Amino acid sequence: MIVSSNDTVRISADPPKGSTSLQRLLRSDAFASIASPIVILLVWEMLVRVQLLDARFFPTPSSVIVELVSMIRSGEIFVHIAWTVSRVAIGTLLGAIPGLVFGVLLGLSPVLRTFIQPAISALYPIPKIALFPLVMMIFGIGDASKWVIVAIAVFFQVFFSTLAGVVNIDKIYLDVASNFKASRWQTYWTIAIPGALPFIFTGLQLGLGMALIVVVIAENFGTQVGVGYIIWQSWQVFEVRNMYVGLIVVAFLGYCFQLLLQRLQRAVIPWKKDGGT
Amino acid sequence: MLTDNAVFAASRDSVSKIRIRDLGKTFSLGQTEVTALTKVNLDVTAGEFICIVGPSGCGKTTLLRILAELEAPTQGEVLIARDDPSAPLSSMIFQESSIFPWMTIRDNVAYGLRLRGVDDTQINKVVTHFIKLAGLERFADAYPHQLSGGMKQRASVARAFSNDPEILLMDEPFAALDEQNKALLQEELLRIWSETRKTVVFITHSIDEALVLSDRVLVMSARPGRLKAEFKVDFPRPRRVYDLKADPAFGRMGREIWTLLREEVAGQ
Ligand SMILES: Nc1ncnc2c1ncn2[C@@H]1O[C@H](COP(=O)(O)OP(=O)(O)OP(=O)(O)O)[C@@H](O)[C@H]1O
Ligand SMILES: [Mg+2]
Repeated sequence: MIVSSNDTVRISADPPKGSTSLQRLLRSDAFASIASPIVILLVWEMLVRVQLLDARFFPTPSSVIVELVSMIRSGEIFVHIAWTVSRVAIGTLLGAIPGLVFGVLLGLSPVLRTFIQPAISALYPIPKIALFPLVMMIFGIGDASKWVIVAIAVFFQVFFSTLAGVVNIDKIYLDVASNFKASRWQTYWTIAIPGALPFIFTGLQLGLGMALIVVVIAENFGTQVGVGYIIWQSWQVFEVRNMYVGLIVVAFLGYCFQLLLQRLQRAVIPWKKDGGT
Repeated sequence: MLTDNAVFAASRDSVSKIRIRDLGKTFSLGQTEVTALTKVNLDVTAGEFICIVGPSGCGKTTLLRILAELEAPTQGEVLIARDDPSAPLSSMIFQESSIFPWMTIRDNVAYGLRLRGVDDTQINKVVTHFIKLAGLERFADAYPHQLSGGMKQRASVARAFSNDPEILLMDEPFAALDEQNKALLQEELLRIWSETRKTVVFITHSIDEALVLSDRVLVMSARPGRLKAEFKVDFPRPRRVYDLKADPAFGRMGREIWTLLREEVAGQ
């Protein structure tokens, strides 16, 4: 705590924080992040009830919740979630692994970089979803094409992040490895990958965000299950409450993915725990 | 003191561990070129401890990096004799912090042994020993960002020692340490050296440090760096840092080297 007056600056320990559990709850991040959406939903509910918002497009939150609860009761929603999650998970694995491998290889080899990077960079600006028709022509309209399009989206994010991470590793660490006569393989495992891990996680985070966007669009085609399917289906039958259920679930999934990734990051990068480098 | 083009050797008939002939290194920086080293000639005997002093930017680090096989010379050559092809030849302790942030201190110190596939019990024994020597026992399982700058430097000294190379290449390893720690580690280095008789090439800014540690002090000229003079240091061993500093011969020699260095620094 710093208190300054005209002639002194007093720097002392901060006063103890409020210790009742209520005070701690009010101060916690969790509370803040829950409080504001609740306020918004309440305002929304009121606006629809006084008919300032059109209930055909903006159903009352309460009616959406009723719908959500009934889908949870019947277990139907879990089937959709399971399908979407499995598509994202498989696609992410299929994309992240080659992204990582290419990122590390190119990061440590200027020669490979000059040969391969231009090709990958040229493909990068294509909106990934624009490739989906082509992917469906090749892999059919079933799940395989969904995995592949997710994989493509994730690949680019992980690849570029890993590459940047490896290229940015302080050269001195590579010198140490080379002085200790580390083999190429040992250099990948002991220097390149751990050194680039913070970047790799950023790539995974961006990649998972992309994966969710892509999978929701892809679930419009060739499937009867998935959260994306709920959204598209309710658009066709003009069942707007279902659509909102879909939107809520997608948002929730995105949130869970990020949370999972943060947990994983903390476990895998312990040297970043208290903010060091 | 010898003339400029002489080969600096411990004695004419001794066996060279390191033989440096007409070594030169020129860096190209886009359009311009920087000559860091020119016409360096030096013989280092097996088991010898030499110190190199010289003005900042004169190419000391460059010379050490060439010896560590991290940089190729642009002129001349270096010949290093190896005793045991299966053992590591040289380990370098870098001037700047080089300890891996993503490994605990223990894993950092174990690095060289791990790469060579030494078995775990052996690694454990060696690593524990050197961590203790470096005074880092309480921090063995900490990550580098939890250590002070001096502690990190001690960890990288431990990492090089535990690798047990034939040659130690040390680039101002103790520069960041406080006086007490420095004196302790200097004595420890001398003790290890007297036990193992490694060949040591040690760079320092400190004339005192050079005199305390070495058999020979080599003075480098300002850039482009070359070896300008050598001083045989034959204080009896084992040496104790603070006893030595009280010796009048120590002061005389220090002043001589300082006079030479001052010319170089002033002439830059
Ligand atoms: N990779 C490089 N590229 C270009 N120039 C370099 C490179 N490395 C070193 N130099 C130049 O070579 C010269 C010698 O550098 P070096 O690091 O060997 O000096 P030094 O004697 O170790 O200095 P100090 O005592 O300050 O550590 C400097 O002028 C430096 O700018
Ligand atoms: Mg240097």
